[in-house]
Amino acid sequence: MKIAVCIKRVPDMDVRFKIAPIGNAVDEAGLKFDINDFDSWAVEAALQIKDKDSATEVVIVSLGSDSVQETIRKALAMGADRGVELKVARIPFDGLAIAHALAAELKGGGFDLILFGKQSADSSNGAVGAMVGELLGLPVVTAISKLELAGATGSAKREIEGGQEFVEFPLPAVLTIDQGLNTARYPALKGIMAAKKKPLDVRPAQLGEQSVSVTKMELPPERPAGRIIGEGASAVPELVGLLQTEAKVL
Amino acid sequence: MANVFAFAETRNGELRKIGLEAVTAARKIADETGGKVDAFIAGAPGVGAHAEQLAKYGADTVIVVEHAGLEKYNPEALAATVAERIRGGAYRIAIFPTSALGSDLAPRVAAKLGVGLVTDVTAVNLDGDAVIVQHPVNIGKVMATVKMTSQPALIGIRPNMFTPVENPRAGAVERAEPVGDPSASRVVVKEVKLGSSAKLDLGEAPVIVSGGRGLKGPENFKLLEDLAAAFGNAAIGATRVVTDEGWRPHSDQIGQTGRLVSPQLYVAVGISGAIQHLAGMRTSRTIVAINKDKEAPIFKIADYGIVGDLFEIVPVLTAAVKEAKSRG
Amino acid sequence: MTVGHGIFILIVVLSLSFFSYNAQRLVRYMMSIGQPENRTDHPLTRIKNLFIIGLAQKKILRDAVAGPLHASVFWGFVVLTIGTAEIIVQGLFPGFTYAAILPVPLYEFYILSQELFAVLVLAAVAVLLYRRIVVKPKRLQGDKVHSGDAILILSMIGALMVSLITLGAFGFALHPDSSTIFQPVSLALSHVFGGLSAGTLEAGRETSWWFHALLILVFLNYLPYSKHLHVLTSLPNTYLANTSGPGVKGAMSYMDLEAEGAEQFGASDVTQLGWKSLLDSYSCTECGRCTAVCPANITGKLLSPRKIMINTRQRLMELAPLATGDFGEFEHHTLVAGEGGDAGDASASAALGNTLLDNYITEEELWACTSCRACVEECPVSIDQLDIINELRRDLVLMESRFPPEIQPAFESLEKNGSPWAFDPGDRAKWAEGMDIPTMAEMVERGERPEVLFWVGCMGSFDDRAKKIAVAFARVLQAAKVKFAILGQEEKCNGDPARRMGNEYLYQMLARDNIETLDRYGVETIVTNCPHCFHQIGNEYPQLGGNYEVIHHSTYIEKLMDENRLPLNGEGKALTVAYHDSCYLGRYNGIYEAPRETMKRALPMMTLVEPPRNRSKGLCCGAGGGRMWMEETVGKRINVERTEELLATGADVLAVACPFCMTMIGDGVKAQGSSVPVLDISEVIAQQLGNQS
Repeated sequence: MKIAVCIKRVPDMDVRFKIAPIGNAVDEAGLKFDINDFDSWAVEAALQIKDKDSATEVVIVSLGSDSVQETIRKALAMGADRGVELKVARIPFDGLAIAHALAAELKGGGFDLILFGKQSADSSNGAVGAMVGELLGLPVVTAISKLELAGATGSAKREIEGGQEFVEFPLPAVLTIDQGLNTARYPALKGIMAAKKKPLDVRPAQLGEQSVSVTKMELPPERPAGRIIGEGASAVPELVGLLQTEAKVL
Repeated sequence: MANVFAFAETRNGELRKIGLEAVTAARKIADETGGKVDAFIAGAPGVGAHAEQLAKYGADTVIVVEHAGLEKYNPEALAATVAERIRGGAYRIAIFPTSALGSDLAPRVAAKLGVGLVTDVTAVNLDGDAVIVQHPVNIGKVMATVKMTSQPALIGIRPNMFTPVENPRAGAVERAEPVGDPSASRVVVKEVKLGSSAKLDLGEAPVIVSGGRGLKGPENFKLLEDLAAAFGNAAIGATRVVTDEGWRPHSDQIGQTGRLVSPQLYVAVGISGAIQHLAGMRTSRTIVAINKDKEAPIFKIADYGIVGDLFEIVPVLTAAVKEAKSRG
Repeated sequence: MTVGHGIFILIVVLSLSFFSYNAQRLVRYMMSIGQPENRTDHPLTRIKNLFIIGLAQKKILRDAVAGPLHASVFWGFVVLTIGTAEIIVQGLFPGFTYAAILPVPLYEFYILSQELFAVLVLAAVAVLLYRRIVVKPKRLQGDKVHSGDAILILSMIGALMVSLITLGAFGFALHPDSSTIFQPVSLALSHVFGGLSAGTLEAGRETSWWFHALLILVFLNYLPYSKHLHVLTSLPNTYLANTSGPGVKGAMSYMDLEAEGAEQFGASDVTQLGWKSLLDSYSCTECGRCTAVCPANITGKLLSPRKIMINTRQRLMELAPLATGDFGEFEHHTLVAGEGGDAGDASASAALGNTLLDNYITEEELWACTSCRACVEECPVSIDQLDIINELRRDLVLMESRFPPEIQPAFESLEKNGSPWAFDPGDRAKWAEGMDIPTMAEMVERGERPEVLFWVGCMGSFDDRAKKIAVAFARVLQAAKVKFAILGQEEKCNGDPARRMGNEYLYQMLARDNIETLDRYGVETIVTNCPHCFHQIGNEYPQLGGNYEVIHHSTYIEKLMDENRLPLNGEGKALTVAYHDSCYLGRYNGIYEAPRETMKRALPMMTLVEPPRNRSKGLCCGAGGGRMWMEETVGKRINVERTEELLATGADVLAVACPFCMTMIGDGVKAQGSSVPVLDISEVIAQQLGNQS
C-alpha cells in the first residue's frame, strides 16, 4: 500500500499572539512551530497501517518555506518513509491555491490513500483535503474518527451534530482525520536519528490562482477577567442569564 | 446587484436551523444591493415542503431537488448538483453552513467551480467587486479579515452567528433534478445514528461538568450527572484526586495526566484548580466554577464563579438549566 | 614432608587455582560485557569513601540492629584474616608461627585479638542466624532472596570461629605449659577437655586445624557462587562508587547524542550498562536496605531496587558465559549464587535473545521510581541502583518511545512551551507584576548588573500555590536589598523532568537553550527556590558547558542572615514546625541544616520537630523522577504516606523547601482532611520580616 499524508506546519497555539506590523499576519517572533495536531493524527493513521503491513510506504507532503523540512522530519521520525517539500515563500491563505499545488504533486503518484488532518489550527478553513480529492477525482470522506480498511474498500465514522454517520468508500480515496481516531506517537530519538537519513525532496509548489487573501488580522477583545458573581444558590439565576446572553452557551 | 445562493441544510427530511441562518445571511447581503436570494434545498421526495418556510425567511426562489438517493447525505451527488446550480446562476456569493455536512460539501463545490472558499465566517460584507468576511484563525485567538475576489465567493457561515429573522418573499419553487445518478456515488453513507444514548466522549462533548475533591464521595456525583442531563449534551469529568480515590474511572480524568479538553462550557464543581487540572481545561471557551473557597485558583481562570456550598448550589443550577433549556 | 603436608599443599594450590579461575572470569564478564566508564577521578574522595563507608562501616551502622552485628563480623573478619593467614602458612611450612617473627607484647596482643574477635563474631553470627531463621525481618524477604545461602554462609563463619577456639583449647589441654591468659576462651575450654587422653586431644587438635583450614578454602571458593561475593567486592565497589566528587552526587551520566555512529541510547540489556553497574550487581548481598527505604516499595508498588540488582546479576550470568565464549555446563546457569539458575532453563539461543529490560525488569517497575536516591544513600557497599533505572528509562524513551501515555503532554509542552504544562511562556513573569522586579533584559538595557539572578522555575511561574513562594522569596530578597533580576519569558524548564523521565534529547535541548541565555547575559550567580532547578543547573549543566554558582534559597537566606542583611522583627509565636526534607536538596546535595537553621533564626520561639524519617533518611514526597506527571494507581499514594508521618509529629505547621514537595504534601494534607498549613521556608521567613521603611 502507498499512502501520502499532507501535513502543515503551524504555530503552537498555547501563546498569546501579537499582530505583525504589516497588519495581516501574526508576529512570528518567538513562536514555536510544529505539525498541526489533526495532521499528526493523519500521520499516525498511516503509520498504524504500516505497522500492520510493513510493505506500506508512507510519503509526507508539506507545502511551505524551507522551515517545513523540520516538520517533515518529525513525521519521518515518527516512522514515515520519505518527504516532499513543496516550496513556497509563504503559505497562502487560499485553500484552493494550495489544493492545486498538492494535487499536482500527488497526481499519478499511485497512492491508495491520501490523508489530511481535518483542518489546520491556524487558517482553520478545513477545505484543502476535500478540494484535493475533488481535483484528483477521488472519493473523499472528511472528518473521520474511525477507519477500517478491507481490501479495496474502507469504512469510516464521521461525527455529525448529535450523532454519527457511517460511510463506505472505495480505494484509492482521500480522507481527512478528526480528533478521536488515534493519539500520535512520540518520536523516539532513534527515529529522529533515522529520519535525518531519509529522503526529502524539495520542489517548487505549483500554486493555483489565488482569489482569497487576508487583508487584516486583529486580536479579539480580551476575554473579560473572571468574576465571582455571587455567593450561594441565590447567584444561580444570574449565572444562567449570563450563560445565555453573554457567553451564549445555553 | 448581488444575487446570493443559500444552501438550506436538511437532515432526515427536516430543515435545520442553520438552513434558516443561511437564508437570513443571504437576504441581508442581497438587500444591501437589491439582489435576489435563491435558496437550495435537497432531499428525499417531500423535502420541498420546506420551501414555504425558506420563503418566509427571505428566499425569492427556492430550488427544490427531490430524489430518493438524497435521503441521506450523498456528498458526490449533492456537490455535483449544487455546483451545477451555482455555475448556472450569476451569484456574487454562495452561502453554506459550517456544519458537519456543510464543511464536507462546500470545499467539493469550490473545487468543482474553481472559486474561493472561506468557512466558519462570522460576518459578511461587500466591498465593490470583493466580498469581505470575518474569519477566526489560530483557534479563535486572532480574527482575520479576508478579501474574496472570485465570482462567486463561497462562504461557510458559523452556526448561531446569523439569528434567523423573518423577511417574507415570494419563494417561487423551482424544481430541479440531481446532476448524474445519485445511486452511482462512490462515497455512501450507510447509516446515521442520532441522539445516541452512548456516553458523550470528553473530547467531543460541548459541555463538561467536572467534579473535584469538594464532592466528598462517589455517591455525590449523582448531582453532576443530573446537571449534565439537564444540559443534555454534557459529559462528566473529574480531577486526578477523584480518579485516584476511585470515585470515578480513570478515563474521566481531566488534566495534564488525563484528557486535555476545551469544550464550549466547562463547569468546575468543588475543584480548587491545581496546576495539573488547569493545564487540561484552561482553553475551554467558557468556564464556570463553584467552590466554597473564594481563594481557590479556579476562580482566577473562571469566567463566572459562585462561592458557596456546592450541595446547595448545584441542584438549583440543575433546575435552572432545565428550565432555560425547555424555554430555549 | 608428611603425606598430610603434601595433601595440604595440593589442596591449597588446587583451590587457589580454582578460585583464581572463577575470579578472572567474573572480572572478564564485567569488563567485556559492560561499557567503558572512568572511575579513577577524585582519588582522594574515593579513598575517603573507602575508609568511612568501607572500613568504618558508616552506612552499615545506619541500621541500629543489624548494623553493629554486621560491623562486628566485618571487623572480626579483617582481624581474623591475619590469623587465617598464619594457619594456611603453617600448613605449607609446618612449625611456622607469628611468635617467631613478632615481639612478645605484639604477639600477645595478636592472639588476644584473635580470641576476642572470634567470640564477638560467633556471638554476632548467632544473633544473625536467629534473625534469619526466627525473626525473619521483612526486608530480608521477597525478591527471590537466598535465605538458604545466607544461613549456609553464617553457619560456615560460625564453624570457623568454633574450630579456631577448639584448636586453641585442644592445644592447651595437650600442652598445659603453653597455655596463656591471652587466649582466655581457649584456656577456659581446655579445662573442660582436661580429662581426655593425649591421643584424643591430639586428634581433636588435628581435626580442628584441618577443619578450619579446609573450611576457609571451601569458603573462599564458595564465594563466587554466592551472593556473599560481596565479601570480596564490597571494598573495591565502594572505592569505585558513583559518588565520585563533592557537589556532584547523583548527577546523571552525560550522554553524547551527536557521537559518531551512536546507535544505542540508554540500556535495554547488561551489554549497554557501564561495567560498574555490573560490579554493583556482584556486590549486592541482598540485604534489602535499599528496598526497605524505597518510597515506591513502601507504598506497595512493584519496584524494588534490590530486585533491580539481583536481576542485573541474573541477566549477566545468563548472558556472559555465552557471549564471552565460555563453555561447559558447570559455568552456565549456576554460576555465582545460582543466579543463572533463577533465570530459568532458557536454551542458549533463547538466553541470547533475552534482555534485562522486559525479561527481567518490567516497565512498570522502572516508572515507579521517584529518583529520590534513598536506595543509593542506604546501600552499605555504595551500589547505584538508580543508575541502572535511569539507563533503562533512557532506552525506553529514546529507543522505543515506550512510556506512560500521560507523560506525552509533558514532553510536548516542554518542547513547545519550555514548561511541562501547556502555559503561555509569555505569562512566566506574571506572578511578579506590580513587584518592581526587573527582567535580565531590562536590567542589561539599563546598563546594570544584578547581584544574583533569581531562577523562578516553572512551578513558581505557573502554579498558583508556588507563585506565592516566588513572591515570598522575592520579598525576602527585596527586604535584604539584594539587587536581583529574573529571566521572565526567557527562562525555560531546566530539563530535570525530561532527563529523569529518560528523555535526554529533550533535556539537552532545554538545557542548551538555557545555557545560551545565561551565558548571553554573563550570569554568574543564580539563586532558586526549586531544588530541582538548583541541582540540575548547578550539578548537571557543567556537563553541557554551563558553569554557574547556583545557590538554593535556604542557603542564600542563611547567608543573608549571617551578613545581617535581613531585617527580621524577632517576633513570632511559639509554633511547632515539622520540616520535610527535599530529596534533591538533601540526599542529592547534602543540604539538611540550612532550611532548619533559617527558620530557627527567624522564629526564635519555634520548636522544630522531626518525623522518624528525616534528613538523609527522609521519605520522598512522591513527585521526583517525573512522577509529578504520572499517574499513581498502584498501592498507597506516596504523598499520603509521607504526610501522615509529618502530621503525626503534631506540628502546627509543615515546612517544605521545594515547590513540588509543596504540591504533594499540600495534597496529602487535604486528603487527610487536615487544615495544618504547609509553608515554604521562604514564606516562614517573609512573615517575620520587620518594617522595611
